[in-house]
Amino acid sequence: MSTNSKTLQITPDADNKGQKTRDYKNKAKKSTKTAGEKVGVFICRCGGNISDKVDIEKLKSSINADFVEDYENLCSLNCRRHIREEVIDQNLDRVVIAACSPLTHLRTFQNYADPLNPYMVEMVNIREQCSWVHSDMEKATPKAIGLTQAGVEKVKKARPLKKIISRTEKSAAIFGGGISGITAALSLANQGLKVTIIEKNPTIGGNMVKIGKVFSPEKLAEECSLCILNPIINDVVNHKNIHIMTKTHLLRAGRRSSYFNLILEKDTSFVHEDRCIACGNCVDVCPVEVPDEWNQKMTMRKAIYKPFSQAVPDVYTIDVENCIKCGKCQKECNMNAIDFSLKSEVISLKAGSVIIATGHESFDLTKRPEYGYERFDDVISQMDLARILGVNGPTLGKLQKISDGKVPKRVVMIQCTGSRDEKTDGKRYCSKVCCMVALKHASIIREKFPETEVVICYTDLRTPGMYENYLRYVQDKGIQLIRGRPGEVSRRNGQLVVRVEDTLQRKPLEIETDMVVLSEAIEPSQGTMDLAKKLNVGLSQDLFIKEKHSKIKPANTDVERIFVCGTAQGPKDITDSVSQANAAAAKVSEQIKCGTEAEPPVAIIKTSRCSHCGKCREICGFKAVYQDEEFMSIDPMACRGCGACAGVCPEDAIEIKGLNDQELYAQIEGLLADKKEGEVRILTFLDNVGYTAADTIGNNRLTYPEAIRIIKIPSINRIMPEHIMFAFNHGADGILMAEYPDECMLEAHKAKIKELSEFVASKGIPADRLRFYKAYAPHYRGLAKQFEDFYKDLSAVEATK
Amino acid sequence: MKNIPDKNILLFKSCMVNVEYPGVESSTKYIFDKLGIEYAIDPKQSCCTGLGFYYDLFDQVSTSALAVRNIALARKSGHENIVTLCSTCYAILKKSINLLNSNEKARDEINGILERAGLSDMKYNEGDLSSENNVFHMVEILYSKVDEIAPLIKKDFSDIRIASHHACHYCKVYPDHAITGARNPMILDEMAKAFGGNVVDWYDFKKATCGAGFSQRFANRDLSVSATADKLLALEGEADMLLHMCPNCQMQLDRYQPVVEKEIGRKLNLVHLSVAQMAALGMGADPYKVLGIQTHSVPVEGLLKKIKDI
Repeated sequence: MSTNSKTLQITPDADNKGQKTRDYKNKAKKSTKTAGEKVGVFICRCGGNISDKVDIEKLKSSINADFVEDYENLCSLNCRRHIREEVIDQNLDRVVIAACSPLTHLRTFQNYADPLNPYMVEMVNIREQCSWVHSDMEKATPKAIGLTQAGVEKVKKARPLKKIISRTEKSAAIFGGGISGITAALSLANQGLKVTIIEKNPTIGGNMVKIGKVFSPEKLAEECSLCILNPIINDVVNHKNIHIMTKTHLLRAGRRSSYFNLILEKDTSFVHEDRCIACGNCVDVCPVEVPDEWNQKMTMRKAIYKPFSQAVPDVYTIDVENCIKCGKCQKECNMNAIDFSLKSEVISLKAGSVIIATGHESFDLTKRPEYGYERFDDVISQMDLARILGVNGPTLGKLQKISDGKVPKRVVMIQCTGSRDEKTDGKRYCSKVCCMVALKHASIIREKFPETEVVICYTDLRTPGMYENYLRYVQDKGIQLIRGRPGEVSRRNGQLVVRVEDTLQRKPLEIETDMVVLSEAIEPSQGTMDLAKKLNVGLSQDLFIKEKHSKIKPANTDVERIFVCGTAQGPKDITDSVSQANAAAAKVSEQIKCGTEAEPPVAIIKTSRCSHCGKCREICGFKAVYQDEEFMSIDPMACRGCGACAGVCPEDAIEIKGLNDQELYAQIEGLLADKKEGEVRILTFLDNVGYTAADTIGNNRLTYPEAIRIIKIPSINRIMPEHIMFAFNHGADGILMAEYPDECMLEAHKAKIKELSEFVASKGIPADRLRFYKAYAPHYRGLAKQFEDFYKDLSAVEATK
Repeated sequence: MKNIPDKNILLFKSCMVNVEYPGVESSTKYIFDKLGIEYAIDPKQSCCTGLGFYYDLFDQVSTSALAVRNIALARKSGHENIVTLCSTCYAILKKSINLLNSNEKARDEINGILERAGLSDMKYNEGDLSSENNVFHMVEILYSKVDEIAPLIKKDFSDIRIASHHACHYCKVYPDHAITGARNPMILDEMAKAFGGNVVDWYDFKKATCGAGFSQRFANRDLSVSATADKLLALEGEADMLLHMCPNCQMQLDRYQPVVEKEIGRKLNLVHLSVAQMAALGMGADPYKVLGIQTHSVPVEGLLKKIKDI
């Protein structure tokens, strides 16, 4: 029960500061010092973990502070009471905890020191950075004293800070009305948010309404997609919290502290949506016929049309580009719904969060002329085939050749058309769904048209997880699989011929067939790219929306409060799109419900000094800086307090709350103050990952020289040339800066290294005295070796003096 | 489209053009002269080594050393825009320039060779030329001038069915430099159309190789000829003329057409011209003195009869 045993064996007379008694109830002993300067130091023996290697009595007696006391287990609940009572009784306004790593217990002690402002608590790590890495008490004790005294000096410069509460408007705008957008919208609307779905097409439903059937690996069956989707669409339409805007796109967007100001344009359809009752009388009289996108242009539609029978909103729309304004529909319409004077509207929308669910486009198959799409009628895409097999499609579900209406005797499918293609114009990635789509269509064909053979030419069949069961299920229906990427589709004597090498048999083949189906790649849509540009959201190398982190932040974008789901972010099937949509909705809701708090360190712009040069916005890899009306602003939720912006600000208008300059200087000075003649001292600036690695060195009881003194910083971007100069002037022999190479800040990072190296060179300091290191949490041995090597090198130099 | 020069041009001589189809060079000069394009031909220029290189007879260092010498000649006379008649010269020069610009070790080694040969003044410095902005294929110059050439065409090609054969070393070695793309190149098709030809939209094996494959022509003769035959047979009855941009392809398809004809026992009636020969013909050049059709294996005369003056 060591956690409860406050170190009563330490006798009260060990107190070296006269009557700085441990009798916390003795209020008469209060210091006469004025408020604002009284520092209390609480030392933890850590059940021997510290006290076995550090002479606690010596440490206690060496520290210059208003109150110094040691405890056996400072983190124990018992000590919570002690700390709090000392703070009150001694009238302490600053506290130093000399114990373990702040990564483990800073929060604990901030809490214990209540009612003190949490930022008036400084932790000095005399365990991981001292007792655990230095075996010699003679060396560990002076270091512990140095570290603790530096902590005292630093905390004297601390300023009380408030957590920054960021409120997000309780509304969301969702771009894209496909399955992803709809799913996210419903989830948020059900949680009470006002949601606007912005769809560029005249109807919501996206690709899922077109594909007819979806594969179901669990049931080993194909299910009707519209039957699954329609009830959801109805829920969306009837939801009081959801507003649907079709034929609408984003013109521009402004970012504010708690919302986005979206300027949208709703294109006219010459139809008053509120008056149209979808009777369809207008269609019969319309003289204009154009290819129908709903049926992949295999059938015709009129210029006034409803995309498909279950379309939502259930109104007719005019294809303004093709309408000749003859006025026949207007005469026919009893509801007076058609009005050719209707113009496009510009609408402003305030939304707390944005979800990008704009979906994908299909690869342009004419870019592979060797496959003959558009040259041969019976070379079609998988989406074309989906429409042909759809009971509401151009052939009412009957598998027919477009050329002559006959049922094909053989269908050859070509996988990876445009995908997994490293040559120019190709997509290097796998489109992920095409193997399953081909199998789904093969299954339907074998089921309904058993006379038709299906051959699938594949690169690799990718049916991971449960999908492998589906592959076996379809294989059992009798399909032929050939591993090889066809070179050409040609026509001989009226018959299509697919040339392919069967790479398993190493034989070139010519397969005669009646129909060829190309499995088109999924590619990023132009609309998505345009939207990303207007919202300043980053794209991946393949031009999809880039998620903030593919593993742990798959629905976040690199802009705070903008999320992504579905194929806008990369190829994925409906299952994955729906999962990601729900994740995006959860993230939006989390921000609103929890009233998110940003913790220092964060950067703050003093608007009076700011000259709006925009340099801070350029350098910030976290996209935390934005221009709000005329002012530059920093979103505290996105800011990591790394300090890169402060480093480039020509007006000195940016302050980093949480690690101010005075604290930094005091700590540097404090860590060098006790340096003795002939001693080597290395200041080490570590970011969070570097600090974690350093802690792990301690956890594993590796050793390194006592010369290493560590300062925890948000990022090396926080360190300015003047800090470096200050450190060298105050006796630092070497400075090591170690940071995790975060992708977001790589450029700023490189610029900082260059800046500091050039500065050091300009001051005539040997380049070898300032070192940079990439820190990785698991590679703590590498960091320990850096410490070791740096010390050895500097000692060698010292020895030659 | 990239910036294509019309002056300071070194018209780079090609071994296969000079030996097999000298009319390609004289046709190009004919067009350049008519258009007022400023160019020079340097008699001191040596071979690009491409044939030897792709036969594995020359290594990259000797190839690039020769390239440095040729580049020095171009620079010395102020004709830094090298325009090749052959797609292999085009690719070989680009590759050498990239190597010289990016690989210091190779550059030093090659400059050392020049020094030992007493050619110190010809040494290459990083960035002397750029593969993208200093090396062009003759068809690119013609393509950039197509609006100027088209009005000068005095022959009616509208009855001639023209198919195109694009060169692999133009499209595939530096696909990003190919001006009409590498996957479905249309540079010859577009020019033939602009000159009034009846262009065959697509034919089977359009994107397939000519079959030459450098050493394959000799080492794997049957495979090589069968690839050539694929193309020729696909065009049988579909086209009257196959338009070329590379002397190696032109040679393979023109010289081996009689071989294929003999094998199948019938004539294929497909004439092979370089796009420069076609343009020069259209502009009124003499078929023998300028186009040099007497050097062709498949007689061109029959086709000429079908082409009327406008």
